[in-house]
Amino acid sequence: MTETKIAIRDLYKVFGPDPMTALKAVREDGLGKPELLERHGHVLGLENINVDAKAGEITVIMGLSGSGKSTLIRHVNRLIDPTAGEIVFDGRDILGCTPEELRRIRREQMSMVFQKFALLPHKTVAENAALALEVRGISRDEYLPEAEKWLDRVGLQGYGDSYPHQLSGGMQQRVGIARALTSNADVMLMDEAYSALDPLIRTDMQDLLLELQQELQKTILFITHDLDEALKLADHLVILKDGRIVQQDEPQTILLEPSDPYIVDFVSDINRARVLRVRTVMDKTTATDGVSIAGEIDQEENLETVIAMAEGDTRKTYLVKDGERKVGILRMDTLVKSLVPTEATDDGIRAR
Amino acid sequence: MGTYEPIFSALGLRSWCESGEQSGGGPVSMADLLAQNAGTDAPAPSIWEMPFPSMDELHEACAAFPQSRVLTKGLEDGFLGIKDGLSLVLDPITQPLSWFLEGALWLFETTPWWIMIPALLAVVLVVSRSRKLTVFVGLCLLTFAFIDYYSFAAQTLAVIFVCAILCVVLGVPIGIAMARSDRLQRAIIPILDMLQTLPAFVYLIPLIFLFSVTEPKLYGIAIILYAIVPVIRLTDLGIRLVDPDVIEAADAFGMTDRQKLMKVQIPLALPNIMAGVNQTIMMSLSMVVIASLVSAPGLGVLVLRGIRNLELGVGLVSGLGIVVLAVILDRTTKLALARINAGQDR
Repeated sequence: MTETKIAIRDLYKVFGPDPMTALKAVREDGLGKPELLERHGHVLGLENINVDAKAGEITVIMGLSGSGKSTLIRHVNRLIDPTAGEIVFDGRDILGCTPEELRRIRREQMSMVFQKFALLPHKTVAENAALALEVRGISRDEYLPEAEKWLDRVGLQGYGDSYPHQLSGGMQQRVGIARALTSNADVMLMDEAYSALDPLIRTDMQDLLLELQQELQKTILFITHDLDEALKLADHLVILKDGRIVQQDEPQTILLEPSDPYIVDFVSDINRARVLRVRTVMDKTTATDGVSIAGEIDQEENLETVIAMAEGDTRKTYLVKDGERKVGILRMDTLVKSLVPTEATDDGIRAR
Repeated sequence: MGTYEPIFSALGLRSWCESGEQSGGGPVSMADLLAQNAGTDAPAPSIWEMPFPSMDELHEACAAFPQSRVLTKGLEDGFLGIKDGLSLVLDPITQPLSWFLEGALWLFETTPWWIMIPALLAVVLVVSRSRKLTVFVGLCLLTFAFIDYYSFAAQTLAVIFVCAILCVVLGVPIGIAMARSDRLQRAIIPILDMLQTLPAFVYLIPLIFLFSVTEPKLYGIAIILYAIVPVIRLTDLGIRLVDPDVIEAADAFGMTDRQKLMKVQIPLALPNIMAGVNQTIMMSLSMVVIASLVSAPGLGVLVLRGIRNLELGVGLVSGLGIVVLAVILDRTTKLALARINAGQDR
């Protein structure tokens, strides 16, 4: 069990001139977003949010535009102050911090990557990457090598002296990631970091993030509106709708047991074979008598790999292993059944 | 007598009006004198000729009612009343301006031309990084010197340098403060509007009362008041236009307000601030000509001489000289601006 790095507790955010009164109406009368807007003229940004981000994991918060996901991530480093609730970071409530302590946390313990990159256009790529160090008052001679190191790591060798406008969008976002990494903070907040990139570059960047993550084990909060991206990156997936959490769990669980018609609609045309892993669809038995085993596979493999291995043959059966230990068997016909998509609901978002 | 006399009678103010008459009333107007000379009362006016009940018209009906000239006279008296107190405060505060102007004029006049011209060219080259412009400026300065207008042009330049620098030194912080506070912005914008639209000559009138005409700060203040507006406005605008995403990033990485201002806002607002500086220089140039009415030295004096003595040639040459100075200053600052813009083109 890994420890919880960031815990968001009972978080509410109401936008408007008198949020406290409006909050009372939400809590006591159970008003939803549309009713609150109609009766009180306030916008309910976030409602009763509880999320635990575990250390070393990627927690993805997914939702369509207007669902409050960008608002939520800005609460974590208090770019936005909540109306009610608490944000516990390493065991202490961030809301109780003095401005000085808050600045220290932002400088040393949390870094952020932005959708529109938000690089400083008048500074070179290396100076941009070193922003966090510069802010801390570290000298140029010390921070430049550090910045170059991380620029190399994200694949921008030799671009240190260029200016951001000379780089393509994908490269600019690499600078954004290098900037976050150079700060050497445990926590990375990524606000729709890849949404402005085109699909191929986006896949590249996702792979880069996973690769870096294996090595660095940061606690990452990742915001996206793209379910494919969410399923690919998430260790823990939170689905947000109209400022409320609809479901949060491991991605595969959400895919197999969607708790809400909204999510059913979301997952109905996902490439399930890529998301589901062997351990979720296997038969948990070690009895292999009378079964012809075609080969061995690891339980963490996704189904796409297995299908490729079996060359599409549905009669085969594989032995599933967790390291050296046998944990079950996987029949190809079971596998195919698990790929049958959940029907989209008739009155769901697609029907409209 | 006045058209509105019956009204005063009806209101029972007759005696008050007459008390005004006894005291001799205000100054006599030309119209009164003419009427006295003619010695006849005009026939009763028809409704078509009924005058607007203005102060003068009401005064005619009732002697105790003040004439409109009392208003302007009162303003003048009021100003004269506070004048001494005001100049007691303003005089020491603005004294450095006189020193700066005197110093700059002294520097530009006493430095021999063979040092001054190369020095100016070096400044142009450093600021604009353009050899072409430097050659052009060199030719202009040499022409000025050749036709014996160099010392006048140098005086004008000296005054502009001092005033423009002071405009930037004062204007940029005011602009920054405005960008940070909506309330301050709301308070200052009407003042800027007024400074910008007030006819340039009007600046001079109260200043003449406050300071002696022989002091350089008299025209210095007039020029600064007139020329400071664009640099304030554009600093405010530039800082407000800085991409909010970048500001958010600065916050997210824990910048203090001061770091944000120095490392993000001012550098990103620099193109706008420089545009303001360019406008400020242009406006001080136009004001330096008008300020020659109150002893500002330079080409403006020659323009004034051209008008006063109808010396067509002198007026034209010095007028064109001002145009050439304007072109030089404009091109130099524009090129500097273009360089900054190119540096942060997105």
